[in-house]
Amino acid sequence: MFGMKKEHYGYLFIAPFIIGFLVFGLYPVYNTVYLSFTDTTLMSKEANWIGLQNFQRLFADDVFMKAVKNTWIIWILNFIPQIGIATLLAVWFTSARLKIRAVGIWRALFYLPNLLMPAAVAALFFSLFSYYGPVNQFLVRLGLLTEAQHFLQSVPIARGLVVFIQWWMWFGQTLILVMAGMTSISVSLYEAAMVDGASSFDMFRKITLPLLKPILIYIFVISLVGGMQMFDIPYLLTDQRGSPSGSIMTNNILMYLKFSSSKGHIGAASSVGVLIFIMTSICALGIFYFLRERDRQPGR
Amino acid sequence: MNLTKSKQATQASIYTARQYNLATHVYRVLIYLFLIVLLVVTITPIWLLIVNATRSTYEIQQGISILPSVHTLDNYGVLLGRGLNLVRGFLNSLFVSAATTVLAVYFAFLTAYGVTVYRFKGRNLFNNFIVLLVMIPMQLSIIGFFQYMSKLGLTDTFAALILPAIANAGAVFFAKQYLDSMIIEELIDAARIDGAGELKIFHTIMMPLAIPGAITLGIFSFVAAWNNFFNAYIIINSIEKYTLPMLIQTLRGDVYRTEYGAIYLGLAVTVVPIILIYALFSRYIVSGIAMGSMKG
Repeated sequence: MFGMKKEHYGYLFIAPFIIGFLVFGLYPVYNTVYLSFTDTTLMSKEANWIGLQNFQRLFADDVFMKAVKNTWIIWILNFIPQIGIATLLAVWFTSARLKIRAVGIWRALFYLPNLLMPAAVAALFFSLFSYYGPVNQFLVRLGLLTEAQHFLQSVPIARGLVVFIQWWMWFGQTLILVMAGMTSISVSLYEAAMVDGASSFDMFRKITLPLLKPILIYIFVISLVGGMQMFDIPYLLTDQRGSPSGSIMTNNILMYLKFSSSKGHIGAASSVGVLIFIMTSICALGIFYFLRERDRQPGR
Repeated sequence: MNLTKSKQATQASIYTARQYNLATHVYRVLIYLFLIVLLVVTITPIWLLIVNATRSTYEIQQGISILPSVHTLDNYGVLLGRGLNLVRGFLNSLFVSAATTVLAVYFAFLTAYGVTVYRFKGRNLFNNFIVLLVMIPMQLSIIGFFQYMSKLGLTDTFAALILPAIANAGAVFFAKQYLDSMIIEELIDAARIDGAGELKIFHTIMMPLAIPGAITLGIFSFVAAWNNFFNAYIIINSIEKYTLPMLIQTLRGDVYRTEYGAIYLGLAVTVVPIILIYALFSRYIVSGIAMGSMKG
């Protein structure tokens, strides 16, 4: 290695990542796109180039649009309370006036569900809300229900549960991020505002929110990308087909169902992957760059 | 954390002049009530899971209890009797998660070191590329990945689950944030004068200094790998290679229909190790989440 310029060692250090990315990241993406234009199945060796037929079939079939719609509904319904409660808690936890005690412990406990295995969480809620499960027992015993209910056969309850579980697992993480953003805002800004007689709501709106924007955008993008790929919870909560009546069938479940169909239509499954990939990437990058560029530093 | 405290102290001093009025007190009480309700909502499902794992199916059917019972071993016996090899699933998960963690942490810091220390051409491009990768749903190429692995004969192997950890953009992003917060240039220069090679400097100077960051990243990588169901579900076929999340979804089958105690025990086995890790390392985890985010 003698004679190699020092700065060129950088290439050596990033080489394993680049090779790993080409082999395990880029090529699979290329391969998925390629497969989406073919009628490849797991069962047959032969595959034909069929152009856009997979995509045409998806758009002709209500199921795909329904899966996209479900995914968006579930994500939006969990994201709004997630960011709302996280911001509310972060304001309380960082307030010098309120002096909430043991902030670290509250926060650590609220974060806990995020670490649990989603597959286990889905199985847990499946069991809790089953016909003979504890929730039915509890409600019947309290007299709130006259008889046990098939909760997971009801569209609003099944969907509501997925939304709840997603919220439950993620609001703690969002809280930590929002708090990190808030504590990095200089105290002198608030002091100056207070001298000018600003109310705490004014300060939140005029100082906290604008300076929090980068971290809010980050939360927004990361949550969207994760939400569009939601699988474990809705898949394992009911019958592994998104029941009742397909109401919790998400993009990824549809992709998996095509993949695991009796013939293993991996061409068709790939086309689902490609469309969601494009949709999610456009939305995520759009939010990231569009909101960022309009980001202006507030006057100091 | 110290920074937060000193800031709160400054802010608090502004308020010492003002007396707490009644409204503030009422407001505080309401906030604590809200926090308690939220805590009950957060903890109850986890608590029920752990408690029910220790109770017999008969007890569970009698109603909800918040106190543990003594039937953990009986429940385990039921799982064994139905042929569920929890220990093997646990070991499979442990192996895959540990190997993934080692690869992810080592290569993330290697890559991050390369872009932090050397000012080579294309460095900014590479940095932007990493950020881009964080925001793209790479998981959705799993079908292409699967077919490619089957051509290479790597389906139903742990290698297909572990090796992609070499190129984990999120981990690189975290490692880069961490290294940016450390000042190591002078140490590196000193080591160079002593005649140490570049890779040796990375191993003997940087890595020991970055241990706190490596632990944090390691915990995240481990938990992510431990909890990963989707990839294993697609790649792994044979039951003796099932990882814990795959094993768990078989608990919903008809074989276990009435064995609630056993089901809860199976679920608790996945959750308890993670809770223990969290109890030991929650400081690393909480500070790590903030560091892994994009602030600028």
